Amino acid sequence: MATDTKTKTTALVDAEQLLRVPSAAPLVPFPVDVQVPDAARQTPAVGQRATRPDCRLHGLGQTKYIDDMYLPGMLFAKIKRAGVASARIISVDTSEAEMTPGVMAVVTGKDIPCNSFGPSLKDQPVLADERVFYAGDGVAAVAAVTEQIAADAIEKIKVEYEELTPVLDPLESLKLETPGVHAPSANIYGHKIIKKGDIEKGFAASDHIFEASFRTQMVEHVPLEPHSSLAQWDANGRLTVHSTLGRITLGRADIARTLGIPMSRIRVVATVVGGNFGGKNEITTEPVIALLSKKTGRPVKCTFTRPEEFYASTTRHPLIMDYKTGVTKDGKILARKIRLVLDGGAYCSWSETTLGKACILSAGPYQIDNLVAEAFVVYTNKTMTGAMRGFGAPQVCFAYESHMDDMAKALNIDPLEFRLKNVLSEGSLSPTSQTLHSVVVRESLLQAAQRFGWKPKTAPEAEGAFA
Amino acid sequence: MKRRGRGIACMWYPIGFTVAANPSAAVVKINEDGTATLLTGTVETGQGSLTILAQIVAQELGIATEDVHVVSADTDATPMDTGAIASRTTYVTGNAARLAAEKARLMMFDVAAPMLNVKPDQLEARDHRIYVKGYPQRNLHVGDVANHARMVMGQPPIGSGYFNPATVALDPETGQGKPFATYVYATQIAEVDVDDETGDVDVLRIVASHDCGTAINPMLVEGQVEGGISMGVGFALQEEILFDAKGRQMNPNLTNYIMPTSLDMPEIEVDIVDNYDPTGPFGAKGVGEPTCVSTAAAILNAIHDAVGVRIHSLPATAEKVHAAIKAKQAAEQKQLSAS
Amino acid sequence: MVTVSMNVNGEKRTASVAPETTLLKLLRESFNLTGAKLGCDVGDCGACTVIVDGKLVNSCLMLAPQAEGREVLTIEGLATQDRLHPIQKVFEDKGSLQCGFCGPGVIMSAKALLDQNPNPSVQEIRDGLAGNLCRCTGYSKMIEAIQTIARERTA
Repeated sequence: MATDTKTKTTALVDAEQLLRVPSAAPLVPFPVDVQVPDAARQTPAVGQRATRPDCRLHGLGQTKYIDDMYLPGMLFAKIKRAGVASARIISVDTSEAEMTPGVMAVVTGKDIPCNSFGPSLKDQPVLADERVFYAGDGVAAVAAVTEQIAADAIEKIKVEYEELTPVLDPLESLKLETPGVHAPSANIYGHKIIKKGDIEKGFAASDHIFEASFRTQMVEHVPLEPHSSLAQWDANGRLTVHSTLGRITLGRADIARTLGIPMSRIRVVATVVGGNFGGKNEITTEPVIALLSKKTGRPVKCTFTRPEEFYASTTRHPLIMDYKTGVTKDGKILARKIRLVLDGGAYCSWSETTLGKACILSAGPYQIDNLVAEAFVVYTNKTMTGAMRGFGAPQVCFAYESHMDDMAKALNIDPLEFRLKNVLSEGSLSPTSQTLHSVVVRESLLQAAQRFGWKPKTAPEAEGAFA
Repeated sequence: MKRRGRGIACMWYPIGFTVAANPSAAVVKINEDGTATLLTGTVETGQGSLTILAQIVAQELGIATEDVHVVSADTDATPMDTGAIASRTTYVTGNAARLAAEKARLMMFDVAAPMLNVKPDQLEARDHRIYVKGYPQRNLHVGDVANHARMVMGQPPIGSGYFNPATVALDPETGQGKPFATYVYATQIAEVDVDDETGDVDVLRIVASHDCGTAINPMLVEGQVEGGISMGVGFALQEEILFDAKGRQMNPNLTNYIMPTSLDMPEIEVDIVDNYDPTGPFGAKGVGEPTCVSTAAAILNAIHDAVGVRIHSLPATAEKVHAAIKAKQAAEQKQLSAS
Repeated sequence: MVTVSMNVNGEKRTASVAPETTLLKLLRESFNLTGAKLGCDVGDCGACTVIVDGKLVNSCLMLAPQAEGREVLTIEGLATQDRLHPIQKVFEDKGSLQCGFCGPGVIMSAKALLDQNPNPSVQEIRDGLAGNLCRCTGYSKMIEAIQTIARERTA
């Protein structure tokens, strides 16, 4: 519509809401002369149980997280989420939202100068403009004078979709016949293989062969602080973004790329983040709020709701893990074959790193001379799976340690003893034939067993289980 | 009836990115009174990394943790950092910070040496003073040296450093190579009670023995282990994102996504394994992620020990455990009646 | 818009807000007391915990008009010009907080617990903190801290 939107909305907005000036800060008392606890004043510094100065501010409630920042004239942004897992976008009609009193700007995918990003594959759009690949995909964004007006306005944005059949099962996606989940890319978007020794000889020499399959679920980081970012410009075209990003150098690079501006014009500041665990390691709304801020000339803040934390931010990869292990009758592992299938969600995010680590770690901390570990990551139309504390390690550890106990039981060897027989030591070769140093897995087993009071339940071995 | 079980799980975990460069840079500047400032691009995400980095810089300069102020996370003012990810901060950013502090310290020694009538390589810094090695009666307070450096010599002590773990690319056919510079190792042992009528699992106690190389700050290491275990307990028994047939999440909220509260947590005992990694800052490696890796495995092995069932998929909810117990009992009944 | 008036941390505060505004939003946006946090906005996480007329409340579940004329105590009301509140001091000494986001809510719950039960058992402490979610700490050092405070007080 050609009418002067700014004049219209300014006239219609309630004067009190327009002001949005934070009230005068209350006189909150705090002590200034509290002595620093001893440990932080001791030398040598390494090894001290030093207290954290930031934690004093946390306890006082003085730490300013991004959502605690209120600037004069600041607008609030909300993202419209697709709500469909796989679709073509036919049309986006923002006219009703734009005409709503209190709405100051609207952007869609078409407004993003370079609409793709990602830590490795740049397969994720800032806002989806042609295709939706999961239900949490953002398709439009609104900046308004209050959060409530923004939340109401995104409901008024009409998007027409041609819904497609979503692929939700990673094993289904693995079959090459499935039409591309993320066309034109292949469904399998990452592959890794490790081969060491001679797997067939290893199995041939084994007295027993054990097989098992394990699966893990999709979980979320649940940081207590939701994702939040705040953007503002100055008259020199310099953008400042405050963000909960755990990686500000990468964040700046992503913002520069998606907005098409030089890095010297971008300042990214992270305050203390209220929990990350891997989920705040790539941009989310930063380029969007930057554009909204540019359009309106006002600071724009966007904070995820708790539901958005779940359905619109990265999660942990579900894994399907198949193990086959050959052992001698007295419990020496000779060969292991592993296949991993990672549910790679709608976008790559940190899947490459997860794939690599899961594959390398999947053999466990054990001396295995004959090994094949192969891992695949596939697209599905579900929430993107990214970096989450462990990059595949918690999943494969569940598999390989469950597998160890099953074998221990079948061989009638104590689970601790079985592990001590097989663990890596100083100078061992890893699955990738790297010579390992500072190896203490045996020491950790013995130390934990001693503190726990672990006594073998099966018939004791002749010498030194606890040597 | 409640049945008790115990389960072990051990693990290994790397520090840093797989092969790929993941550098960190740092700057240390020394004030005229011998206290210092560290500039780092890393982001404090709650784990206490800024305090750890302060301790590393303080150690290098021979001063106390509280003497080092850390400025972080501003692309305008702080050097680049690959970020708080992959448990790399203590090791990679720590090494960068130590190297930066070392350079500033060497500038201090260049100034202190003629003041003490020795060569710079005869000096060492500790307890807020710069000493002549082997003749500690000859020493100067770091404040006097720093003041002299700036005001008299015109050489303000400042140092910048960077670090990137040494790796070797993996062969695409065989995966052979050196993907990480170092790894950490750990064991957790869980003790559980399983109610064999309801499938409810109560985690009573977890003993955790973790390697982190030198523990720069044991209190913060314990905090990481305890927090990691809480994520592991949730992963093992409670948490799951559920999707409907159309691919939409069904429980995107904290009412229906179950995660550990204070009531769900076991007694935790933490031991740090005595270790030293020469490639890390003062022997340190890292600890952030390893803490949640073996918890679920230990708990599931404990369930197996308690009631003799192997759960193959997480989470091991009461329903799943109960169903597995029933199936096992039915199978045993069948065997009995067959014999 | 409605005008609401209440006693916050010993001081009378007044604001004009939309009637559906929560006490949480009132504290954060109108009174600039950002210690209470928005973690979920539906009473599941406890990050917004404050004390109203001596009782623990999820301030995201209370409407601002419902707090009219009441005594509201927030994290900002615990310390004085001279010293940290004992809970704040011991939490710092023990390393009980990590990212700190849940901190204000947990400390208010700890205060309410200790005010009512000066010598709680471990189970009672766990019960007292059950309404506050924490993802960083596993609650261990919070429980230790509360035990220490109880010991120091009864000593």
